[in-house]
Amino acid sequence: MMEKMIFGRYVPADSTVHKMDPRSKLLIIFLFVCIIFLANNWITYALIGVYTFYMLGMSRIPVRFLYGGLKPVLWLVLFTLILQLLFTKEGNLLVEWGPIKIYEEGVRQGVFISLRFFFLILMTSLLTLTTSPIEITDGLETLLNPLKKIHFPVHEMALMMSISLRFIPTLMQETDKIMKAQMARGVEFSSGPFKERIKAVIPLLIPLFVSSFKRAEELAVAMEARGYRGGEGRTKYRQLSWKAADTLQLVVLAILTILLFLLRA
Amino acid sequence: MKFRALDMTMAGMFVALMAIGANIATIAPFLHVGGVPITLQTFFAILAGAILGSRLGSIAMIVYMLVGLVGVPVFADFYGGLSIIIRPTFGFIISYILIAFIIGKMVEKNKSLATFIIASLIGMVVNYLFGTNWMYYAYKLWAAAPEGFTYKMAWLWMLPPLPKDLILAVLAGMMAHRLEKSVLSKGQFKHLKRIS
Repeated sequence: MMEKMIFGRYVPADSTVHKMDPRSKLLIIFLFVCIIFLANNWITYALIGVYTFYMLGMSRIPVRFLYGGLKPVLWLVLFTLILQLLFTKEGNLLVEWGPIKIYEEGVRQGVFISLRFFFLILMTSLLTLTTSPIEITDGLETLLNPLKKIHFPVHEMALMMSISLRFIPTLMQETDKIMKAQMARGVEFSSGPFKERIKAVIPLLIPLFVSSFKRAEELAVAMEARGYRGGEGRTKYRQLSWKAADTLQLVVLAILTILLFLLRA
Repeated sequence: MKFRALDMTMAGMFVALMAIGANIATIAPFLHVGGVPITLQTFFAILAGAILGSRLGSIAMIVYMLVGLVGVPVFADFYGGLSIIIRPTFGFIISYILIAFIIGKMVEKNKSLATFIIASLIGMVVNYLFGTNWMYYAYKLWAAAPEGFTYKMAWLWMLPPLPKDLILAVLAGMMAHRLEKSVLSKGQFKHLKRIS
């Protein structure tokens, strides 16, 4: 559990996609989410599918991890499919079974929209499966750097992200510890009616807040004692490097976009 | 816009607290009601607004969203990753930013217990209004839900947990007021950047 919290869904491997710069991966995913809406017939959906599986193949991520990302959204895909099948009433009547009538257009719409979800989820999972949260944070910070011009606190937010990543596991352990400590003092956590259980939140959360505030204060003092002065002129331990492979993948995506424009209905 | 170290560490801490609040029922199994785990995300979002103020509180909630988007499982059911954008419940995550901002604005002016509770209740209403509308339009646009899926259906879906959430909102308001009086008016916390 703790490991999962720190590394997110990252699966380490030695592949082309893993070695790509997080900036190019972020750009590719962002553009992909936009261009998937260009697909509106069988050939364009097939193209999107080929591209998705080309990227997946290159990443060498085992199928079970992809399925893990897909599982929580699967009901949504199914729900969409059923909704489309039952309520769209255009085209030829295909099946009639009591009150249930399924039309051609419903099948077409249902399959297309499910496919769109399916590819979107696979591609967005690919980013988080091949890139660690720290890398994505670094990439995001550099990509959003221009926003500093309009006084958007890019560096500060990236630092807050790192701080929270560091403290999520700590505070989880803390919560567990507080709960056990309060139980030892006789707080009834396990049973009782709804009202009692909601009340039991207080002896759990007040110590959690107080201890996290204390940690925040200690960390701030430590940062100031070491002379932290903010983003200006700060050097980095992890350096990002844009390689030929990154440019190549963006070119591939550009070709896909052009093809989609040409082939869409 | 200048941040001091304490502003950033406090915001970071609230992001971590949000992550715990989303999945508190796995750590504290007593927070299951009828088999359904309670999440305390809105609860913590209310507190973020009340304690960090409108500016820092809403920034903390944006950071929470980003941490989840980059793949750390900080959302409910230990979900994380970019694909959350597609889920119709993503509106609730965005609404935390609004909640923290609105509550921060209200509490900055008046620090009485009544203000804290009213602000929390307003926050909860905003959470429902924004989240449910987002969900409805997400189904309409992403899933291209046809005529059969009505606006009323979306609301009927959302109503059952409302009483529980209103109780939690009152509790959050009371707790924020208490923390304000006991911890945050002392030491370094007095200087926490709470007004933009």
